[in-house]
Amino acid sequence: MSRCHQFTPVTSRRDLLRTSACGFGQIALAGMAGQTLLATDHGLTTDPVIPVRAKRVIFLFMWGGPSHIDFFDPKPRLNELSGQSLNASSVGRSSSEGGDRDLGTLMGSPFTFSQHGESGIWMNELFPQLSKHADKMCVIRSLHTEGSAHGEALLRLHTGQANLVRPSVGAWVSYGLGSENENLPAFITISPPRGHGGAQNYGSAFLPAVHQGTAIGSAETPIRQAKISNLTNPSLSLDLQRKQLDLVQSINARHLQEVGQDRRLEGLIENYELAYRMQSTIPAIMDLSDETLETLNLYGVDAEPTDNFARQCLLARKFAEQGVRYIQVSTDYTWDHHKQVKEGSIKEAAKVDRPIAGLLEDLQRRGLLEDTLVVWGAEFGRTPTMENGDGRNHHPQAFTMWMAGGGCKPGLTYGATDEFGHSPVENPVHMHDLHATLLYMLGLDHEHLTYRHAGRDFRLTDVYGNVVHDILT
Amino acid sequence: MKSLVRLIAYTILIVIGFVSHSRLLADDGADAKAIAYFETHIRPLLASRCYSCHSARSGNEEGGLVLDTRDGWMRGGDQGVAIVPGDADASLLIRAVRYSDPDMQMPPDKALPAASIAHLERWVEIGAPDPREPKSETEANVFAASDPIAGRRHWAYQPLKQVPTEQIASASERPAAWSRGAIDRFIIAKLNAANLTPAPDADPEKLARRLFIQLVGLPPTPDQLADFLSDGQPAAVERLVDRLLASPQFGQRWGRHWLDLARYADSNGLDENFLFREAWRYRNQVIGSFNSDTPLDQLLREQIAGDLLPYETIAQRDRQRIAAGFLVIGPKVLLIDKESRMQQRMDIADELIDTVGKAVLGQTVGCARCHDHKFDPIPTSDYYALAGILASTQVLEERQMLNQTRVMERLAGIGPKGKQRDDAYERYWIERGAIQKRVERIEHSLKLLRAGDQLGLLQLDQNHDGVLSPIALNHCRELSERVAAQEAMLDQGKRVLNNPPPIPPRAMVPADIDRPADQAIRLAGQVNRPGPMVPRGFLSVLTDREYPIPQNSSGRLELANWLTDTHGGAGHLAARVFANRVWHHLMGRGIVRTVDNFGRTGEEPSHPELLDHLASELIESGWSVKSLVRSIVLSRTFAMSSRHDDHAYSIDPDNQLLWRAHRRRMDPETFRDAMLQASGTLDFGHVDSTVDYLGDQATAVGANKNRRRTDFPCRSVYLPVIRNDLPELFDVFDFADPQATTGMRTETMVGTQGLFVLNDVSMLAASDAIARRLMVAVDPSVGADSRRVDQLYQWVVGQAPPDDELEEVLAVIGQLETQLQGETFDEIRLRAWSVVSQALFASSRFQIIE
Repeated sequence: MSRCHQFTPVTSRRDLLRTSACGFGQIALAGMAGQTLLATDHGLTTDPVIPVRAKRVIFLFMWGGPSHIDFFDPKPRLNELSGQSLNASSVGRSSSEGGDRDLGTLMGSPFTFSQHGESGIWMNELFPQLSKHADKMCVIRSLHTEGSAHGEALLRLHTGQANLVRPSVGAWVSYGLGSENENLPAFITISPPRGHGGAQNYGSAFLPAVHQGTAIGSAETPIRQAKISNLTNPSLSLDLQRKQLDLVQSINARHLQEVGQDRRLEGLIENYELAYRMQSTIPAIMDLSDETLETLNLYGVDAEPTDNFARQCLLARKFAEQGVRYIQVSTDYTWDHHKQVKEGSIKEAAKVDRPIAGLLEDLQRRGLLEDTLVVWGAEFGRTPTMENGDGRNHHPQAFTMWMAGGGCKPGLTYGATDEFGHSPVENPVHMHDLHATLLYMLGLDHEHLTYRHAGRDFRLTDVYGNVVHDILT
Repeated sequence: MKSLVRLIAYTILIVIGFVSHSRLLADDGADAKAIAYFETHIRPLLASRCYSCHSARSGNEEGGLVLDTRDGWMRGGDQGVAIVPGDADASLLIRAVRYSDPDMQMPPDKALPAASIAHLERWVEIGAPDPREPKSETEANVFAASDPIAGRRHWAYQPLKQVPTEQIASASERPAAWSRGAIDRFIIAKLNAANLTPAPDADPEKLARRLFIQLVGLPPTPDQLADFLSDGQPAAVERLVDRLLASPQFGQRWGRHWLDLARYADSNGLDENFLFREAWRYRNQVIGSFNSDTPLDQLLREQIAGDLLPYETIAQRDRQRIAAGFLVIGPKVLLIDKESRMQQRMDIADELIDTVGKAVLGQTVGCARCHDHKFDPIPTSDYYALAGILASTQVLEERQMLNQTRVMERLAGIGPKGKQRDDAYERYWIERGAIQKRVERIEHSLKLLRAGDQLGLLQLDQNHDGVLSPIALNHCRELSERVAAQEAMLDQGKRVLNNPPPIPPRAMVPADIDRPADQAIRLAGQVNRPGPMVPRGFLSVLTDREYPIPQNSSGRLELANWLTDTHGGAGHLAARVFANRVWHHLMGRGIVRTVDNFGRTGEEPSHPELLDHLASELIESGWSVKSLVRSIVLSRTFAMSSRHDDHAYSIDPDNQLLWRAHRRRMDPETFRDAMLQASGTLDFGHVDSTVDYLGDQATAVGANKNRRRTDFPCRSVYLPVIRNDLPELFDVFDFADPQATTGMRTETMVGTQGLFVLNDVSMLAASDAIARRLMVAVDPSVGADSRRVDQLYQWVVGQAPPDDELEEVLAVIGQLETQLQGETFDEIRLRAWSVVSQALFASSRFQIIE
């Protein structure tokens, strides 16, 4: 009864190639593995009532968890009470919920906050470049999630769940929207973490493999050395490789003639052509030499400490320009400041401030910002209490993320935490809500974007998630 | 009695309203996605805006039209048919809701919102799928899909039915006397009934290649092929099959099929990708079990409860324990708050229920965690009956790792004195901090000694035992003597510190927890919302007798027995599911194509009698997998050619009825192993760990940059299976996802596959190797190049090249020899042959199994 396992006949090569435009080398072997390739194949996703606010997403992932109360969520009262102990009852826990518990010693922020732009968005002094773009930003101070260890929190951020293997946000977006460019994947992840869920954070799980994120390098590798695997032949020039490929195709064609008809064989032939096209086009996109010096400087390319993240952000823009739907850029595992949160924040902010500001500026200049949603955030925030004297521990109960560009209200500060930044007290936004909202901005209804697997329909937000309409344009 | 208690619990739940009354989707041929569309967008719309005037149930049939049954709109009203499936513009209903025709506007009070109209149009365009029975809603509502008693009517839960094979017409089959045995008679009966005839027998070369690949995962070498072809005796195929079944390579192929189901991996995955250092023992034992043809029911019992089974020898004990590693090897969230321990236990139980349910019974039991199963007769109470058993099973434990106490996979020492050695090892790591401190104190004592601080020494001695030797304390002795005594002590301390005992032989083994207990139903699946308690037990729909579970045990042993019990347990279904898996692997498609789903949302068998025949044969042979494989591959059905036929294709394009063999693409293991075999570099032997060089984290985090290797010459079944970091070959070519049980690997064609074949270093290495082998094997006299091409083809595709292809390859070689760069001509020639060899590996002749 389930279509997932019905073997739709493919009767011609035209049929065979029908949906190859839907993504990265996906040949439409529609029934071959009984897989549905794109959500639109079922007419289940595009909802005429949801306007498309953004066509693509760039997610800037700060691996480790920056301290929300040191960057975007100033807490004067926390500074006043610094050094005193924090009782659980002060952050709204009743005695039956362990309200008497001592949560540790409060530690004020070492940074100075001020308001920026006409909208008066609060930020500390570590983002001098980014703060010039305050009026583009929509800051959400009331994010919350589960998982007080990195692994669980990363998986929840990227896939919505931790205990079960689920498709990642980018894979759902790819499934929902397809790719705008047949030579590029719909989902690219630049320098993804190998640990804390690793490839699962950009995996497709039970969605067709074509929706899995294509990785460029990994977090611990400088982006200069990073590449998409097997995109170039180490020993053969493109010309000679073409000659080799011609021989392959000639053998295949002769074989096809012998057997009469075979969709697998036809698919194989087309597949090689696609691979060849990919290896001709992608390196050109990844090459930054066609960028002007002014653009390179805008991001901070070739300057330290910004060079690495600048290159990642610039690549993200290039892919956005080429029609990639979901692009993630990750830092290395450097935001986990259990000690020296002050020094660590200064160091890490300096690496990303100019690149991110440059990205926003560049996207705007090119007219891309209006339909590109930029999201900045991490797996969780950090405790208002002290750890190891001068650090802060993991804190999934409340943290800040911000967005800019297509779909979100610029210059808005949304949601609030208590006076310590410990728990959301106004307009809490759960990770599932963030996911639902993100899809909504792309014109997708998170309750309708489903995939039938193992006898039932799955979705990114499981049975949860509310769209945060207040932050939408 | 227990199932009765569960039924009561189930009934209580119905009463308190947690049961969803989803209806059985009656139209088995309908598209489930489309039905989901109907359920999401259309049914609620019809119910809220149309039924008040157009409903058989309410008796309001205005204009003669009712919309609460499928028949209703098909029959239409006074104005004619309401809906033309596939054509929105021609459908009266659509015209009415569009409000474009002033004479026909529905609903009459107010037009529907644009989105609803769009949904209706879309629904009609996709063929107006409508699962509603031709009855009114009221009657349909009575049926509860999850009712385990009514559910027995579903084909998969029925006892096996044996059709006497002589009853299947063979006298009139076309072509005459085609059948060799029962299997063929079932197949040809259906073919003939559909006016089809089977394809002719495959060429012996192609049959041999197919047999070799399906039985041992490798194509035949030219010698093996020649041996077979020159055996002109009648039973040549049988002799070949018996040789292959007896080969140790059989387990490397068929063990891997089980490893797919066991979601085998060498690391945990999920949040903390800890290395499973001992997983290889499980892998190798599975391979061994298939080689020794361990009866499948025994194999299953060992997988589920090997640690609880009686044993006579240490070797038997260990074998059974290692097999039970099946339960430990799944992915688990490890790093959790102490408060979340119960959540973790229930999540692990869930993973096990899902795995056992799908792998052994083809049941999506996991669906019943939060509510009664919406399609299958599995009430939530059955889920928690199983959860009680599996939550009473321990698969994690606390150990010292990375100098911390970590929760990780449960391990047990194996071999004689296994436990003592494991305990000693663990003790060392527990005490390591103290040993370190002691060494530091001895170092400190030396400083004090040299500084002449006798008081300090005495204090140190007073505060810490075992830091100062009596000689060192004795101030009457020479300083040098006292220093020497402490230095000796320091040396000894450092030796202990720096020489941790080697990791003793251990295996991943589960255990029953100290106090096994029943679990409460969790409302909406939430751990902190307990409902009624449920006694431990199994699926009611498959349980016909009592299986008492002793007080102090988890019930795993009883679960293992129930799973394969053909008298009152789930044995018939287990046999069906496994027989179907064997058929699926050998033929390319299951008789039930949804191999992991025998429930109502799965497909029905294309040949139900054949499936029951194979399942019965499996049971009667004493659950011998090899016997079942043997009888299938010796059928004429298996030996059919894969050739295309226009007539048959027009009748049965999916080849459901098996009018020919399914052509298939090589799986990644065969692809790699065949390449290495052809290039003469494959190591056929068995291999232990291929991950022992990795740290405790299997994937890089922070400073740990160690990564799994793939450059082993071994067979692919032994390559590291690191969750979230599979060997690229596996990742790209649809290897089983080791995160979850996999009965049918997906088959995709994505650009990265082409890129891998064209550019991956392992492809280049294999091509270089076969080119070198070619230069040695063919003497460089006149016509050497032609003979080389011929030899290359024999090695890679097992046949000679067609003449024009030979000419083309020679021409390419000639061109490459002038265009490639190199120090010497020998080197250039080698490269040219490598490029051409790679082209042959890339070709469909190599990759597609006919």
